[in-house]
Amino acid sequence: MNFGRIFHNLNYAVSALLFLIGLYTVAVKPNLIKKLIGLNIMETSVFLFIVSVGMVDEGVAPIVTGGYKAAEAVGRVVNPIPQALILTGIVVAVSTTAVALSLCLKIYERYGILNATEILGREEP
Amino acid sequence: MRRVAVIGVLLIIGAMLFYAIGKMPPMNSRNTPDKTHVVPRYLEKGEEEGGARNIITGVILNYRGYDTMGEVTVIFSALCAVVALLDREKRGLSRSGPDASGVRSSIIVRTVVRFAFPVILFFAVAYMMLHGEASPGGGFQGGAILGASVIVFTLAFGLPESTRRMPLKVRTPLESTAMIGFLSMGFIGIAYGVNFLTYLLPGVHGTIAQTIRNLMITVIELGIGIGGGIIFISIVFAMMREDKFELRPDIPQP
Amino acid sequence: MWRRKACFPWACIGVATTCFLVWSLLGKVSAGKAVTYNLSGWRPPWGIQIRIDYVGLLMACLITGVGLMLLIYSWRYIEHELKEERIPYYYTLYLLIFTAMLGFTVTGDLFNFFVFMEIFSITSYALVAITGERMALRAAFKYLLMGAISSLTVLLAIAFLYSVTGSLNMLDISTRLKSTTYLPVAGVALVLFIAGFAVKSALFPVHVWLPDAHSIAPSPISALLSALVIKMGVLGIFRILFTVYGHSFSGLSSNWNSISGVIAWAAALSIILGSVMAIIQRDLKVMIAYSSVSQIGYILLGITLVSTRGMAGGLYNILAHAMGKACFFLVAGAFIYKHGLRRIEDLRGIGRTMPVTAGAFALAALSIVGLPPSAGFVAKWYTLWGCFQKGQYAFVVIVLLGSLLSAVYCFRVVYYMFFTGARKSGVGLDEAPVTMFAPAAVLAAGTLFFGIFAGLLMPSLNNATRVLLMK
Repeated sequence: MNFGRIFHNLNYAVSALLFLIGLYTVAVKPNLIKKLIGLNIMETSVFLFIVSVGMVDEGVAPIVTGGYKAAEAVGRVVNPIPQALILTGIVVAVSTTAVALSLCLKIYERYGILNATEILGREEP
Repeated sequence: MRRVAVIGVLLIIGAMLFYAIGKMPPMNSRNTPDKTHVVPRYLEKGEEEGGARNIITGVILNYRGYDTMGEVTVIFSALCAVVALLDREKRGLSRSGPDASGVRSSIIVRTVVRFAFPVILFFAVAYMMLHGEASPGGGFQGGAILGASVIVFTLAFGLPESTRRMPLKVRTPLESTAMIGFLSMGFIGIAYGVNFLTYLLPGVHGTIAQTIRNLMITVIELGIGIGGGIIFISIVFAMMREDKFELRPDIPQP
Repeated sequence: MWRRKACFPWACIGVATTCFLVWSLLGKVSAGKAVTYNLSGWRPPWGIQIRIDYVGLLMACLITGVGLMLLIYSWRYIEHELKEERIPYYYTLYLLIFTAMLGFTVTGDLFNFFVFMEIFSITSYALVAITGERMALRAAFKYLLMGAISSLTVLLAIAFLYSVTGSLNMLDISTRLKSTTYLPVAGVALVLFIAGFAVKSALFPVHVWLPDAHSIAPSPISALLSALVIKMGVLGIFRILFTVYGHSFSGLSSNWNSISGVIAWAAALSIILGSVMAIIQRDLKVMIAYSSVSQIGYILLGITLVSTRGMAGGLYNILAHAMGKACFFLVAGAFIYKHGLRRIEDLRGIGRTMPVTAGAFALAALSIVGLPPSAGFVAKWYTLWGCFQKGQYAFVVIVLLGSLLSAVYCFRVVYYMFFTGARKSGVGLDEAPVTMFAPAAVLAAGTLFFGIFAGLLMPSLNNATRVLLMK
């Protein structure tokens, strides 16, 4: 493993770390809301990863103020595609969280608690 | 025991991810494949072809408009899912009674919100949505701020007040504006014989073509913004209304 | 807000029109040729392209056909099962999930692929929980957690691939991957893709969400999920392995066999485990759900054997299983609708009062077990042929063993339905409504039809897989 490269790509490394933290939270914490928070941490980490792909040293936002010529523009301007991807991604994450929270609301209404092990323990057809 | 198994799996996944990160193209560099393949054309021709000075808006509404249509469908289906699970209020009658907490917000909060709310609304619609093609912003971002402003209003003044001003009759048709915007603009292209969601219509040239294209993009952007904002508001209203049940006495509390 | 009675006709018109349009493409696509459509007029890789190739058209026809049958079935069942104000939302969500699956099947762009996957995932979480009962909410939540994590894994993999190739169009990525210097990253991305889609297609060992979710959902939704939505996971694996990465992906050729081998072994374990768990179940729908786990194992085994006949068998099995499993769930739903029956031993003698419905089950059972002359037999025959072609005799044993176990649980139900129960005099036919048994009967007849007339599809399917594997 090339540790030098990993430290250079610090954003990617942090994003991977957040992904793992989120996955740990989802797997281990018994409270349903905490699981959802873990899911959100995972989603945020993936967005961080995607945006970091497009970063350029001392780059500016891709908004045309004068004309752009292709060759020089690539060096100055941040890649617009990852930002378009995460716009859609954020909406998807919000939608998933909305549905999950409404499920949590209904589960609380029916079960009275939000503890996953207890809910799974009350087996009945 | 289970915790150990989880940590073991996480270590394997982590090792894999860090291995890949070590082999990835370096960050912040100008020559990586992702910046040299498709992007130069977007940057160079983005304004004249894409129709917006903000290239990201050009990408999401013109080059990859179909993805944005998919995104709008996602948020719409989330709304359907939420109201399928938590039912809507009855038609005409707001089912929400007095606030659950029973405590009114302080006068400071209410006054500040009363001043800030129209400013935030203006910022969302005028700057984010309409000016989104020349500055950072865009349809969905404006819609999110629009939704946030109404949520702030609801938090300060309570759900009954908010629902009174924005009843179900008003919200329901507006929720579909995003989809309707996309579909109507998309089918205009088909009516002229070109592919779905094309903005540069055949037979129309010069500045008129540019104007039509900018108009279509603005319509879609406003549609996404207002539709998205109203969808957020509806989702939050539906969830807030559920906050009224009593704790069941037969279930032991943690 | 919409008139409740108007929901169903409008939905039917929409689905039937789509079905007609999709089926009219049947002549135009063949092994090497695909129908493409550039959205917004931009050519790929600058724009998004819809690319309907052979497998895509097969899946699209399947989705529209089965979707129409399930919609017809839903009319009566949903009236009976859901609260009245939720019925319009059911139809809305049904149309959304139908649209999303079609979009998923035909797209040629990787990120669009992800977006449509999210649409059908989110709507399926809601459709599982739409009845509002306690078990449904619990099952939906577990399904949501596992599904959302798998979607994120797929998104991360897409991000890795984008950073290495710079493009989001599937064919373009496969071209650029052939000459890339960042092969390890592509390899890790492949592993992440497979992991994500394995959860969506309920492969062992990440199948644990399926029995709860598919058994507790309303029956047409159970049928939709088992017959179509998990096939989307299979299609995801297919697209990633064969369209995005391409079979002649030389950089990974040494690892190719190991990756597809891992999936094949997981599939084999699915076959055995699913069948065994199905045998010990007492609830009919839970049994059918475990049977789905087992059958997905057959499908993935066929596809990842990477041999012409095997892959043709796996793809044909998608068709056979979709029709057969949908029929199973519709029949189970008919039993619940008429009598509220869920346990297998309560099905005594029901073959006499509901002969058409029970007969449809028996016919579909032939396909699930794999007996001639059903479509399932053709599919499993080709899968076995593929195993022989590759010399994997262990898989031959597993496929045959799996068929034997499937016979046990399927024919147990048939036995209870037809061969037991006291003959009560005076109890005549008490069949389910026509709109409920007709779709089940059509689907069962479909398994028979595609078994006897396999010659309609098999030659072109063989041709398609041969072209695919030669590229």
